[in-house]
Amino acid sequence: MNCLVTGAAGFIGSHLCERLLQDGHTVKGIDSFSDYYDRSLKEGNVAALKNHSRFSLVEADLLETDLDALMEGMEAIFHHAAQAGVRSSWGKEFHIYVESNIRATQALLEACRYRELSRFVYASSSSVYGDTRDLPMREDSNPQPVSPYGVSKLAAEHLCYLYHKNFSVPTVSLRYFTVYGARQRPDMAFHRFIKWALTGHPLQLYGDGGQSRDFTHVSDIVEANCLALYAPVVGEVLNIGGGARFTMCELLELLEKIMGKRLSVERHAVQKGDMRHTGADMTKAHRLLGYRPRVPLREGIVDEYEWLRRLHCGPRESNRAPGSLP
Amino acid sequence: MAVSQELLDILACPKCKGDIYLNETQDGLRCDACKLLYEIRDDIPIMLIDEAKPIED
Repeated sequence: MNCLVTGAAGFIGSHLCERLLQDGHTVKGIDSFSDYYDRSLKEGNVAALKNHSRFSLVEADLLETDLDALMEGMEAIFHHAAQAGVRSSWGKEFHIYVESNIRATQALLEACRYRELSRFVYASSSSVYGDTRDLPMREDSNPQPVSPYGVSKLAAEHLCYLYHKNFSVPTVSLRYFTVYGARQRPDMAFHRFIKWALTGHPLQLYGDGGQSRDFTHVSDIVEANCLALYAPVVGEVLNIGGGARFTMCELLELLEKIMGKRLSVERHAVQKGDMRHTGADMTKAHRLLGYRPRVPLREGIVDEYEWLRRLHCGPRESNRAPGSLP
Repeated sequence: MAVSQELLDILACPKCKGDIYLNETQDGLRCDACKLLYEIRDDIPIMLIDEAKPIED
């Protein structure tokens, strides 16, 4: 299939491009290389892809691009471009979230109205749940976002549904639960913790460490996207999680085992907009997508650790992380 | 890998949505209407208005 991946140079987008190419698809990528984080990381994400004969990449803003031309010949859209980051979505910065997450999604959906497409896969987020009372969260739980970021992702989800309802755009929204792994964004917890630990700085922890997350390895997210291409999921919203919840304290213990040393931690107040717990009920994803997470946290975190170690400390002869788990 | 003709065929000036053309040195895309040059760096067309360079005749 001819696939368009938005956010192709990003954390999840770049892994997805690789998998789609491996599966024999032709991939057109678009990314604005926004300055939310270091460009060099994004360039690193696509370095291996650029020489692939079935891959092309354009650096462009979705809201300034001729989307009709971009979509010519495309059969599937994987919409991962977004302004990410819960904590940055307050105050004057919110307009960036409206433009990048709501308006850009609407523009893409408008361009899909009269096209023959197989799928439009939208990358949503567990942030849409917010203060919902259910744990694990189910897709029919009442979403109550507690961050403007969560609101923007939920609004785009609703746009996906209504363009399906009104114009038969074959959308499916996947709610990702805290994705981690090699190429994770530098504003995310694992990346920060491991980088601080590798560079000898104390880890900055917000809250009491009892908050928990359903961490999902990026390869499981990519698998869910590939399953969504063919599964009967049009018009649906599906949770994509890692299969288990871990508190930040448990995560810190795991990191200490992997790194083979005690880590220094400095505690700070809870950040506005942070959810206390997330956990995915994946009954629906299993039933409709055939999705099961494959990578346990103790294995997936070594993947991210090794990537960050190479990034900050250079290559090492041994491939095994000190104290890495069997 | 040079920029493919297929990709070049679908790109348009993000400012005026008009046609753009590969320049003589094949390292940029010209919009003659807007007098802007969108650079191609590392085989990636940079189709961002803020990054475009004015063309001086």
